[in-house]
Order: sequence, then structure tokens, then C-alpha cells
Amino acid sequence: MSNTYQMIVCGVGGQGILTITDIIVMAARKKGLHILGSEVHGMAQKGGSVVTNLKIGEKLHSPTNPIGTCEVLVGLEQNESLRYMKFLKPRGIAITSNTVLFPISWKKDKKAADYAKEKIEENITKFDVKLVMIEAEKLAIEAGLALTQNIVLLGALSQVERFPLTEDELRDALKQRVPAKYLEQNLKAFELGIKTVKNL
Amino acid sequence: MAKLEELIANEENIVLCLGNEAIARGAIEAGVQLFAAYPGTPSSEASTAIIAASKKLGFYAEWSTNEKVAFETAYAASISGIKAMTACKHVGINVLADALYSAAYMGTKGGFVLLVGDDPHCFSSQNEQDSRWLGVSAQVPVLEPSNPQEAKEFTKLAFEISEKFETILVVRSTTRISHARSDVQFNKYETSFREGVFEKSNRYKCLPALARANHPKLVAKMESIKEWIPESGLSVVEGQNDTEYGIITSGISYAYVKDALEILDKDVPILKLGMVAPLDEKSILEFARNKKNIVFIEEVDPYLEDRISALFIQNGIVPKIHGKCTGITKKYHELNSRLVAEALQSVIGGELASVGEIQKAEEEITDFIPFRPPLFCPGCQHRAAFWELSKVVRKNKGIFASDIGCYSLDPWVTDTILCMGAGISMANGFSRIIKDKPIFAYIGDSTFFHTGLTALANAVYHKANINVLVLDNRMTAMTGFQPNPTEVIDIADVAKSLGVEYVVEFDPYDFENGKKTFEEALQHEGPTVIIMRKICANEWWRQQRRSGQKIEVYHIDPETCIACGTCIVQYQCPAISWSVDTNSKGKKYSIIDPSMCTGCSVCSQICPVKAISKEVDIDE
Repeated sequence: MSNTYQMIVCGVGGQGILTITDIIVMAARKKGLHILGSEVHGMAQKGGSVVTNLKIGEKLHSPTNPIGTCEVLVGLEQNESLRYMKFLKPRGIAITSNTVLFPISWKKDKKAADYAKEKIEENITKFDVKLVMIEAEKLAIEAGLALTQNIVLLGALSQVERFPLTEDELRDALKQRVPAKYLEQNLKAFELGIKTVKNL
Repeated sequence: MAKLEELIANEENIVLCLGNEAIARGAIEAGVQLFAAYPGTPSSEASTAIIAASKKLGFYAEWSTNEKVAFETAYAASISGIKAMTACKHVGINVLADALYSAAYMGTKGGFVLLVGDDPHCFSSQNEQDSRWLGVSAQVPVLEPSNPQEAKEFTKLAFEISEKFETILVVRSTTRISHARSDVQFNKYETSFREGVFEKSNRYKCLPALARANHPKLVAKMESIKEWIPESGLSVVEGQNDTEYGIITSGISYAYVKDALEILDKDVPILKLGMVAPLDEKSILEFARNKKNIVFIEEVDPYLEDRISALFIQNGIVPKIHGKCTGITKKYHELNSRLVAEALQSVIGGELASVGEIQKAEEEITDFIPFRPPLFCPGCQHRAAFWELSKVVRKNKGIFASDIGCYSLDPWVTDTILCMGAGISMANGFSRIIKDKPIFAYIGDSTFFHTGLTALANAVYHKANINVLVLDNRMTAMTGFQPNPTEVIDIADVAKSLGVEYVVEFDPYDFENGKKTFEEALQHEGPTVIIMRKICANEWWRQQRRSGQKIEVYHIDPETCIACGTCIVQYQCPAISWSVDTNSKGKKYSIIDPSMCTGCSVCSQICPVKAISKEVDIDE
């Protein structure tokens, strides 16, 4: 177990969670690392909360990561990052977008947006984790395509110490995975993700 | 997901794929020649992959109208000497059970495999039914793989065992196997598709006298399979021989046990059963005979625990039993390596890192994490239909019996959801005893052909005063947009030919027409069928984008919007949310995310101040 790198990617259905999971998996495979993942299909994909589990390493048995086991969490939405924060190890790294997507229960309350701004981050810090908050939407727009928020976070992930894949390995997989006509924007989003972490 | 070319490539290769795709590959390597299934999470991707492969490899495969039809189709092929397979989710078993229980008596010829995807934790299901019991109740052997690689091997092996013993083989997967992704070794395969040969025989008639004669044969068959398991290599003992403890497990639970023992740094012998019915009594007794404690680790029901405990009593051995009976694991929901480590620690000891701090933080934040239920997609015609219906149902205090499909997500009017096809039948029941309220049933196109047809015939026959609403979105959307008979059979024609007098069709986005139709239908005595036909908005949106068609999105005028929340809070379109900024009156307003809007127009129809209109293209 000690050699197994455990992580989760979470967000709201439709945010590109499976895409970055794919890229990580492709890069890991190319490097000859073993990978075991778990995802949930069906009802959960319709704008619901989505999480994928990943394990990279040698002796891989069960496909899910229980509470307190992950080195890193990549969250595409703040509430979802908070929801899955318990899966991080003490002092694990939470790379989360500052994006807030309002669930219907909150849309009823017009003040929820203000609450979200103040409280979510405070709640995340109740966990003993290293929080890396990224303005993913802003950077994705800067890259030329709002849909590349997931790739911004992937860029940031590549800078995590001990993460088993390098920047170059992830970039190569990214090139293979995203549609050619949006490659330029995706690569830029990836670079912006790298840069924003380096500047932290 | 793996590509089709990879899935069918006839070479030795390691492919990263879903457990379900590994199962599909197993069927291909075994040489499946007829496949029929009805989709259902978590089994669907296996069927999708086999059906896609069939077109390339040249064998017959179909999406059937329901699980029973699929099973019977495959069964006929099997008794004609052809390798056949069917697949369903756990509750699909209930639909095909009528055929299964008798087919088990009659036996098979060509390898026959029934893949069932169980869903512990109800990720996409209505219950946590445990299909391992089929081994006892229907007397069919059940294989239970513990990872995607085994899922492939066991599927292949299932065909072999089926042919060896002329029996139906159940391959039981669970969500965490079916939807796990890992490397799977693919092997070369030979296909020798041939014509079926049906040898006439009394064996295939389940008449009482013949069934009475077949039953002892079935019991004997299960006995001989039981005797054979030890030589099959399906029962595996791991770890040092130890007289103190032993763990008995199977399927995904085995994976949790392996992780848990590593976490606890303990070496305890494990007996992993690849076949969970019939039980490999010889290996189980050998494993347990000299042990003081036997720990059972399994998800949901205490299937192994109860059956093996009985076996111990029958054989006069009395280890202490740890499992569901001692509460170390629960009889519901899925397990994980932590839960299993805690369970094992309570019996065998060992160190387990505390998660107390995390649990404390979790308690503090729980109330702040919003519930995020799955919703209708932007532009979904179900939302439009239900919105319109909610006015009618509420005004008339109607009772609303819904069904299984995307429309189960309705937040407004649904009173009951039971199982596939139950909406119309339950409406029939309500109409018999509740006379002062209108009764509605709601059903999708795929569910209509699945089990709605018979219920509608019953309603016509008995002149039930009900309103049957069919939402025909042209496909089986919930499980991944599979095709179904609505492609070629007109539901309105079906209803009319069954004798429904009032049959109307309209576009669910057309509210004016809808209102008129509902009012008219309520005046009608006897069953009415109202068909709302429109291609699934999600699929339509994808088609538009793929073909480069522009989608005419809507936008909201910030100054006209009065922030009443009709579009956001009541209509609940995911594409609409509150603005961050305020308008000139200092008020927040609604905004439409143009990347999500499908241009369905419904919000513009329901806005009380007409603040929503089609976005004007600046270029024009």
C-alpha cells in the first residue's frame, strides 16, 4: 500500500472529470505504471455530484479510496471539493477550482452566493490539508476556451511533489486525448495551470 | 473507455478497459454467437460493447424489449447448440426469472451465460438485491469475479462450464467491478460461427410430468458441479496455514480483504471462492476444519455466512463465526478497504491509523454541503412535460404513478415509482378505489415496450379511467441512449389498435397545445393515451454540435427580470442561475449560461414578465 498513489477527481457531472481522469490514466499507462480506477455511471452523471477514484502503483486490489487515504484531490467545484475532502490524508493536497456551481437547493436562496464566497474555503480549512485554490474559470477564459477549466487543474496537478507523472508525460497524454481543433487552447490552459501554482 | 478496434482485435494485448468491457471481451474470446439484452446500470456497457462488436465480427446481437425477451431469445439459441448470452442489472433478474427458473430444469446445450450487474449502495438502482441467491433459488451455478481481469476470464470460463454441465451460468458482477478501470490481458480467439441445430426432445417442454422428472436431474447436476469445483482452480487459498483465524470471501470483497490485511500488516489465510453456487464444500471444510475462528467478508446479504455456517453444523465443525451475525460488517451498502480493515481489526487486531480528526471535521461541515441531486438536463422535454402536468395534477388533486427512466427525476408531481411498467398498472389500481380524483400514469417509450404494453391492454380491457402519458424521447436515454422499438413502431398506433379511444400527440415544448389536451383528456371516460414526442434534448444537442449546427440560445434582459425565480427555483433549468452583479435597480437577476442552453424556449414561455428572448446575433 505504501507504494500506491491514491487520488480522487471530483466535481459536477459535465465538468470534464472523466476527461482529466482519462489523461492521467493514459499517461500512467504509457509510463508503464499500473492503474486502477473506479467511476460511477448512470443517474450520477446528470448534473449530480461526480467522483472518480484512482490508484497508481504496484499491488492494486480494491478500486476505491476510503476516508483519509488520498495524497491529492482535484476538485472542479468548491462544494464538491468540500464534499470529498475527507478522502484526503492528513496534510494531503487539495487542488480546487474556486468555481461554485449552485445546486438547486441553494438557488432558492439569493444570498447563497455570498455565503459560498465566505464559508466554503473556511470549511475546507477545517481539514488538515494543504489547500491550493485556483481561479480555473478565469485562466480557462484566458486560454481561449472556458471548457478547459479541468485542464488548468491538470497543469497544477503536474506540479505536485511526489505525483508520479511529470509535466511532460501529462502534456503528451493531453495532446492525444483532446480534439485537435481545441488543442491550442488546452495546451495554453495546461501551461497557465502550471504557472499559477509556481507563482503561489 | 476502450475503443471498439481494441476490444475486438484478435491479438495478445494488454488493454486498459472497464470491467464491463473486459466481460464483453471474455464473451468475444469465448465465441458468443447470439447476444440479447435490455440495458440497466451497472451492466449496460458490457452489452453496448458486445452489440457493437457483433456488427464487426458477424454474429447476431440485439437490444431486446425487456430482460425476459432477451433471456428467452438467447435460450433458444443455446438449446440449438449455439453459444448465447444475455445481460441485465439485478432487478432485471426479476423480469426474466419466470424463464430462468424453468430453463434451469431443462438445461442448455450451447454455452449459455447470464451476466448480472448488482448495485450495492444503490448508485443507480431501486434496491440492493443480491443475485448470488439465484444459485440456491433457481439452482444455477454463479461465478463471482473480483476484478476486471477475472471478469473477463470468468465470462470465458462460464461458457466452458455451461457446455460441460449443460447448465445456465450466472456471472455476477457489482458496480465496483463493472465500472472499475484497469489493465486487462486480452488473448487471441477463434470464431467458428455455425448454423444452429435444434434436436427435438421432450426435455424442452416444462409440462408437469416432465418437470417432475427434470428436477432430480437438476439436483444431481448441481451435485456434480459441486464435486468438480475443487479441480477447477476456482477456490483459492492464500496465506500461511493458521489454526486461529481464516477469512472466507468472494468477488469485490476479496479485493477489500487484500487491502485491509496490508493496512493492518497481518497475514491471515484467505479462502477466495470464485464460484459461490454451488458451494465448493470440500475446499471450504478443508480450510475451516482446524480453525478456531472463521471471518466472513461479503457485501450486502450474509449469503456465504449463512450457507457455510449451515455447512459447518452439518459436518460437525464449530468454529466461532464472525460476520454479519456479529455486526462487523453491515447487511446494506457497499464495503471499502477501510470498513473491512475495521471489521478485521475487531477480530484479529492490528494497527489502523485513526481518522478521528477527519471525522470530526466532517461532522462540522456536513450541514454545509449542499444536496446535489441529479436533475433533468437543460432543455429536457421531461421537465417541460412535468411542469405543464404539475398545473393539471395539482389543480385536480390528481394521483400520479410514474415509472422507471429519466422521468423518475421529476421534482413536482410524482407520487409513486415502483418498477419497470408499474405506472400504468398502479394507476389502474388507484382508479378502482379512488373515484373523486383524476389518476395519471407516466411512462417512457422504452419502458412502454418493456412492460407497459401488457398493463395498457389490461387498462383497456377493464375500462380503467386513467390518463396514460407516454414521453417518447426516441431512445432509452437513462442508460446511455440505446435504441428501442419506438424507432419503427408508432406508440399512437399501438394504443389505438389496443382499443384506446382517446389518443393524442403533441410537442412537449408547446404549452398552449398541452394545456388544451390535458383538459380534454380529463373529460374522457376510460383510458386515454397522451404521447409527448420529442427526441431527447441531450442527444439532440450533441447531434447539433457534432454537425456544426448553431444552437439558438436564449438570454435574459437584466432590467426586465424581477428575480421572481420562476425559471431558476421553480422550473429548475440547470442552465439558469442568479447573477453575481446587480442591475440598475440594485437587484440580482437571472442569467442563462449560453454553453448549456439548448434553445428549448420553455423559460421564455413561463417567464411572467417576458424578460427572456432569443439571443440576437450581433453579426446580423
